[in-house]
Amino acid sequence: MTLRNTVLGAVALTMLAGVASAQDAVKIGYSIANTGLFSQAAPSQVTAYELWAEQVNAEGGLEVAGEKRPVELIWYDDESDPAKAAQIYEKLISDDEVDLLLAPWGTPHHLNVAGVVESHGFPMVGNTAASVAIREVSPGNVWFPTSAIPDKVGPELAAFAKSEGIGSVAILANVLPFAQENLQFLLPALEEQGIEVKMNENYPPDISDMTSLLAQVKASGADAVIALSYPADSFLYMGQAKELGIDQPFQFLLVGPTISAFQGAFGADADGIVTLGHWSPHQADWERAKPFYDAYVAKYGFAPDYLDSALAYMSAEILEAAVAQAGLDHEKLRDVISTSTFDTINGPVRFDGVENVETPTAFLQLQGGEMHLIWPGDIATSEYQNR
Amino acid sequence: MDLLLSPQLLFSALVLGSLYALIGVGLNFVYGTIRLLNIAHGDLVMIGAYAAFGLFTALGLSPMFGLPLIAGITAMIGAGLYFGLFKRQLENTTSVEQLEANSLLLFFGVSVILQNTMALLFTTSPRAYQHLDYVISIGGLDMTLSRLLALVVSLTIVFAISMFLKFSIYGLGISAIIQNRDAAKIVGIDVGRVQLGSFILGFGVAGIAGALVSLTEQISPFMGFPFTIAAFVVIILGGLGNISGGIIAGILLGFIEIYSVALTSATYRSILIYGVFVAAIMLRPQGLFGKAQT
Repeated sequence: MTLRNTVLGAVALTMLAGVASAQDAVKIGYSIANTGLFSQAAPSQVTAYELWAEQVNAEGGLEVAGEKRPVELIWYDDESDPAKAAQIYEKLISDDEVDLLLAPWGTPHHLNVAGVVESHGFPMVGNTAASVAIREVSPGNVWFPTSAIPDKVGPELAAFAKSEGIGSVAILANVLPFAQENLQFLLPALEEQGIEVKMNENYPPDISDMTSLLAQVKASGADAVIALSYPADSFLYMGQAKELGIDQPFQFLLVGPTISAFQGAFGADADGIVTLGHWSPHQADWERAKPFYDAYVAKYGFAPDYLDSALAYMSAEILEAAVAQAGLDHEKLRDVISTSTFDTINGPVRFDGVENVETPTAFLQLQGGEMHLIWPGDIATSEYQNR
Repeated sequence: MDLLLSPQLLFSALVLGSLYALIGVGLNFVYGTIRLLNIAHGDLVMIGAYAAFGLFTALGLSPMFGLPLIAGITAMIGAGLYFGLFKRQLENTTSVEQLEANSLLLFFGVSVILQNTMALLFTTSPRAYQHLDYVISIGGLDMTLSRLLALVVSLTIVFAISMFLKFSIYGLGISAIIQNRDAAKIVGIDVGRVQLGSFILGFGVAGIAGALVSLTEQISPFMGFPFTIAAFVVIILGGLGNISGGIIAGILLGFIEIYSVALTSATYRSILIYGVFVAAIMLRPQGLFGKAQT
């Protein structure tokens, strides 16, 4: 054998080994908003996916109808563009021939991708989509584990505020869709509970100073502040509310406080802030919750996002459990996901149509630097405390 | 009316305006004086913010003490870009239009590279840190120490820069280049050296602005674009190359933003700011403080 043949033989063997390994692995595809408008939000989701894949592989692989196979994640940057996300899922299914799909980040992306998975009959468990529009998606191939849907959040928030003796509120709302959708359902719910709205002001997403808005909040004398905010303006609110001495005992921020950077930026000053979220590691009834939290902190050095990281991990758990039962056959997977109850870090999850009907809409409060569920009572991990 | 007369609103307008002025000064050195369309300016603000975050979280060094180092980091990037990308452009391109078009493309590439490099290094997750966030009260005015320091540092730097440019030989050199580049060369001004100095100063000041921004806002690799826009609005309003005009325009922009929101609604913020900008350009194309071309 010549040196040339030896080298060629070695190359061929290496390639064959690579092919064998690729055949063994279960390929799981998704798109992420690695760049663009939503790129700040995407890491919360991707870190959860990567942790899950690492844990699965460390335990010998994903159980596919009795056989353990390693997991290989395949992803592309959708540049925060929902149309691009749809193209990527088309490619993942048609060109990359992935075995399974995980979800992209955000409601518009989910809705765009829903059409693609529907046309291929390819099941996908969603995660970070929260809008009444998700109910427009044809049931069968897409499921949404979130319970933070605005038509549920509004009435629950109003009921919670009433239960804490709130008689009036000052509302600040970002003009972006999730905040406005929440506002749409919050206002009638507040009226129904007899809570007076003393101030209701919208603001743009690129707001750089809230002094005049917060001065109005202060002058309103409302019992509570409800800021339907996104992360950047939640940060702005906190810094300037402290400066202006906004001292309402009940202060709610819609999105932002669940991110670890928020607690890093405000420390004890953020204590007492109430926010949207339905998962906490302190809920002892959910046996998988604390191990997930500990594993996440051990891997990344900071706490998971209580909303997006938890939802992303839940969706992977659901997929894992369904594959263990049904294997990779799409028809069987659809049946299992549609009819089973799954044990997740957020407790049991069961779908009716596209919607999770087990997890209650809930609220979190920062208490002593820890996120506790404070509403509803049956899953609460701590009592609500005035700020 | 009480709100409009409140010292709190005045303080916020001064903080925002001084930051706009500082960011505008940085861009004025690169675009206003040597006509390079630096659309990566906001990304240099972002680099400064990350440098401040990194120094504070890794070494416990306050951005207030780290300002020279942070300015040095972004100034070094400026010097590197000058020698690596723009020196030849400036030497070989004679028309201002061509220079602007070429630099626009080059800086677009720089912007994408800076953003994605930072995303790779730090991920795209937002970052923030708690520092100097005590509230101090003086005569009924409550001020977060970090915002007060941002105001004081910004005003000090823009004042120092305007004095430096007015009274130093370097400043006179810049003025000469703005007025007539060829004539400046003929009278013996080392144009290349002045341009390098402009890069270093412009980028260094952007880094300082970023450090101050990081004290009060969350930071991320893609935070720079709004600062780029604000900087362009400021220097065009102030008159290209007019450092003092840009400083006044920056502070004016802060006042317009704060008081127009207080007078109307926060939802009109962008309409009001850009409405004033468009109206000013229509009425005075050379900028509020620029001299008309004759």
